[in-house]
Amino acid sequence: MKLIITGILAGFIATTVLATTAAKAEDMVFTSWGGTTQEAQTKSWAEPFTAASGIKVMQDGPTDYGKLKAMVDSGSVNWDVVDVEMDFAIKAAKDGLLEPIDFKTVPKADLDPRFTTDHAVGSFYYSFVLAWNKGAVSGEPAGWADMFDLTKFPGKRTFYKWSAPGVIEIALLADGVPADKLYPLDLDRAFKKLDTIKSDIVWWGGGAESQQLIASGEATFGQLWNGRVFALDKDGADVGISWNQNLTAADVLVVPKGAKNKDTAMKFLAAASSPAGQAKFAEASGYAPINTKAKAEMPADAVKSLPDAHVDGQINLDMNYWAANRDTIAARWYAWQAK
Amino acid sequence: MSVETRRNFGTVRVPAGLNGLLPALILIMLFFVVPVLALLLRSVTEPEPGLQNYAALLGDGTYARVFFNTFLVAALVTIVTVLVAFPVAWMLAIMPSGLASIIFGIIILSMWTNLLTRTYAWMVLLQRTGVINRTLMTIGVIDQPLPLINNLTGVTIGMVYIMLPFMILPLVGTLRAIDPMTLRAASLCGASPFQAFRRILLPLSLPGVAAGGLMVFVMSLGYFVTPALLGGTSNMMLAEMIAQMVQSLLNWGLGSAAAFILLVVTMALYALQLRLAGARRMSGGI
Repeated sequence: MKLIITGILAGFIATTVLATTAAKAEDMVFTSWGGTTQEAQTKSWAEPFTAASGIKVMQDGPTDYGKLKAMVDSGSVNWDVVDVEMDFAIKAAKDGLLEPIDFKTVPKADLDPRFTTDHAVGSFYYSFVLAWNKGAVSGEPAGWADMFDLTKFPGKRTFYKWSAPGVIEIALLADGVPADKLYPLDLDRAFKKLDTIKSDIVWWGGGAESQQLIASGEATFGQLWNGRVFALDKDGADVGISWNQNLTAADVLVVPKGAKNKDTAMKFLAAASSPAGQAKFAEASGYAPINTKAKAEMPADAVKSLPDAHVDGQINLDMNYWAANRDTIAARWYAWQAK
Repeated sequence: MSVETRRNFGTVRVPAGLNGLLPALILIMLFFVVPVLALLLRSVTEPEPGLQNYAALLGDGTYARVFFNTFLVAALVTIVTVLVAFPVAWMLAIMPSGLASIIFGIIILSMWTNLLTRTYAWMVLLQRTGVINRTLMTIGVIDQPLPLINNLTGVTIGMVYIMLPFMILPLVGTLRAIDPMTLRAASLCGASPFQAFRRILLPLSLPGVAAGGLMVFVMSLGYFVTPALLGGTSNMMLAEMIAQMVQSLLNWGLGSAAAFILLVVTMALYALQLRLAGARRMSGGI
């Protein structure tokens, strides 16, 4: 009797397990940062991909590097494609956390080489721009140096809170370092410059927070992602934007090492980085496509608001430098912040 | 004498009850003790075996400041919470029970509301362009907005608000147990209201203050959301620093060590409270 019950139970468990794996082989999980960006990714990439292939794409988030590492370390990887910052991707590839990209499945020829590596395909690229609340600022800030001018522009200014490419470079540019002499970063000089306005800085930790700070006038101006300013403007907020010395950085798509649906993930990457997928996403988000053929598929006025239209004076943040120095800079950054 | 023996016998019987507790004990072992041991192990093995994570934490000025900050904020929050909670609790204790239960309902309702929502509500109230500053500026009390957010003030206001129920509830219990006649007796003997409060009410309510205060203090030590949203970077607390180590720097060894230190300190405080409470019970026992 007992044997029979055990047998039935084992059979039941086996079928359940098989059924789950069968279902899982069809589905995949995409993880990104939430908010308007992930909505645009769902609409531009996941939905058309499901329509074409029948493969369900489940959305998860927000991206959490700690979680990603935990999944890879424990061998139980629930994410198949993850949107991460590019400097993290370079570091993570070195630490063995990522699958190499299968460029037989993902066509590489038209991808912007700035944002493509052996372990990552560009997701989109963006610029840090200077944005301000027109009602709260008298006059027009012209460039990064104005963010450090407390007499001409009093009031709170907002910067990105986390240790990441951007703020250090802004401080150095404002202090007169020429764009082509930024790297290697002079951290002492940057922190000294930042010290001059430290008590007037309000930090933003996420895109929505940066929008709220500027829209409410809590911070009169700040360093924002261009897509967030684009969205504010679309919503009718009275914001100004300066593209002067806009700083490009990128998000990339990666596949964590040991992802359960690696092959499906590669197919998804092919669709997301295709001219059509990139064009749709860029139009919805205001972030720039990483496929060089995408712009041809976009309406002309949508192209105008992209970082691509502002290459004059544009500076590419050095992702390789950051990947190599991520930990040392971060240690100093957080120590300085906590002071 | 025979009564004493029977009572003692009752206490000794506890192990028999342990059988029933076994599933709970296994659960606690699996989901609490084992992870804590894993945490400890990680803190002395990553990135390499040794005590370098603890040395880094204790030897570095930044971390020391964050530790100090954490205790400062927790202490400040506890003191302010006690000061605000005491009058409320006293009112609730002497109020007609119908009205009291309505107010209890309101207090408990706030605990059921999402923590993030409540914290964001404070952001809307406290920011420079927020309700409080706008109102004060309109009626001409201030010319410049007060800095109420992104600093210690913001963290304290937000956390006191969240901790109040944890202080009020145990305090009301203690205050209700105090015989109101003792206060009347004091005033009949010529004590001023302040004297009656200081010499009768306060000493009698101390166990409740201590219990609530310790709970508030310990909870504050590990708080994350409210300090992260209402505080500035210069009053960062330990929980936020640990989150940075784990999520952003991926330095799990260091994060584990910081978490373990916090755990040990918390346990030590709890043990101290138990000893104090035990001593009080013995000396106060009739």
